[in-house]
Amino acid sequence: MAASLLNNLKLLTQKTAILASKTSLNAIIPGRGIKRWVAPTLRELEKRRKRMGPQQPNPRSSFLEWNYDAELYSFGKRLGEEFKTNLLQKAFTHRSYVIQRELTGNLTETFEDNSDLITEGDSVILKSIRQQYVRYPEEIVDAVCNYLMTNKMLAHVAFYLGTKDIVLTAEFPAEEETLANTFKAIVGALNRSTSEDRAHVFVSDFLICQLNGKDIYEVWDPKNPYDILKQLVGREIEPRLCNESASNTILANYQVGLYDNRQLLGIGWGESVEIAKETAAMHAIKKLYNF
Amino acid sequence: MSNRHLFLVPKFITTPSQNGVGRYVCQLQRVVLKFCKNNGGSRGMREFIEHDLINYTKDNPGTVVYLKPRRHRGPVICAEYLNGEKQSIFCNNFSCEEIAKWLNLLLTQSGNHEGTRLRKMWHTENPSVQGPWTPYTFRDPTLNLAKFPNVDLSTPLSCPKTATEHLLELFEKQKNEKFENEKLD
Repeated sequence: MAASLLNNLKLLTQKTAILASKTSLNAIIPGRGIKRWVAPTLRELEKRRKRMGPQQPNPRSSFLEWNYDAELYSFGKRLGEEFKTNLLQKAFTHRSYVIQRELTGNLTETFEDNSDLITEGDSVILKSIRQQYVRYPEEIVDAVCNYLMTNKMLAHVAFYLGTKDIVLTAEFPAEEETLANTFKAIVGALNRSTSEDRAHVFVSDFLICQLNGKDIYEVWDPKNPYDILKQLVGREIEPRLCNESASNTILANYQVGLYDNRQLLGIGWGESVEIAKETAAMHAIKKLYNF
Repeated sequence: MSNRHLFLVPKFITTPSQNGVGRYVCQLQRVVLKFCKNNGGSRGMREFIEHDLINYTKDNPGTVVYLKPRRHRGPVICAEYLNGEKQSIFCNNFSCEEIAKWLNLLLTQSGNHEGTRLRKMWHTENPSVQGPWTPYTFRDPTLNLAKFPNVDLSTPLSCPKTATEHLLELFEKQKNEKFENEKLD
């Protein structure tokens, strides 16, 4: 078989040599897989692509496989909440999008923007955080509110709910503030669709749970913990020097315990007695509120 | 670890955005099933769409399923997760059951884990509950009242017998034995 093929090839080459010396290799081998023009073309395309620089990402909604109604339906189902469809659609429609539609002139249906839902959601979120931390001092609750209500935190939560592709805004990709406002609007929409209790559960499940694994002093930076502790206890506290080592050196270390009526409230370390007292107060506050 | 792990990205087990602390949210937000209507390679995919897809969507209303028929191209499952990651699985000649299994895997994943290697099967942000050791941990409370310089506390904790002491002890023992033998005689 192989020998006959070789003979055939030899014959063919002889024939071509005799008949036409100018025929190309492609003409001799009929089933050539990759044509000669492919590699240079690809090389040229690659060169042009590099010259153009990195491409802008396309919004997911511009894809062929996109159904906004299905996305909205799935959004509610994914979170296990019963939203009213018109309210949910309103929650995702930002003012900038409505303005953009009006300017382009293709405003087929009347769009309602979510400004009122944002303000409503904002108050609901604050209320539910305060409700959750009702037995804590005002200062700590304020710190927690400030931490959770930052645009960065709200945008993080909104992103992981899957709002990034569904949100209707003028800018793309959606900015941090827009996503944060979307989360507020969703809470507002839920508040109107179901009940305020349901909205509180939603906020605690998605926003307040972000405090999981966080130390309270990552969120709250008290200026004078010792004074705050004195106010919280309401009595005079007795600080005792429990241990000290390497005093009068650069590596001095003191351990101070705070006692209230012979009960240890908290214990802390520091390179001076004053610092140790403050850290002990921080520990005592943590123990007092079971953080 | 073998050489085939060299190009894998090492990762720890994580949960996106505290998922499951409050409530669990399925991280697969949308899936696109691409298939050909006549090619044999898409047969399993077509079967899945005909028989099981309705039940799949009913069970997982939180995932949007798109169907994309395209001529003379292989079947592909394209998954998109809530964290923005995408994953595509080329499933030429896959059976209906295989496709169902892959879709189930995508549902239960938190993101695209292709090309990653888990450094540990467990992970914790707080490795120690009791905290690190300090010089004050398990310290004897009597030391609080000790006055320095203190003779007892200044001696070394362990003083093994010296060779001289050992020899002296042996000599004493020998002497005692001799004395007792003389007594017996």
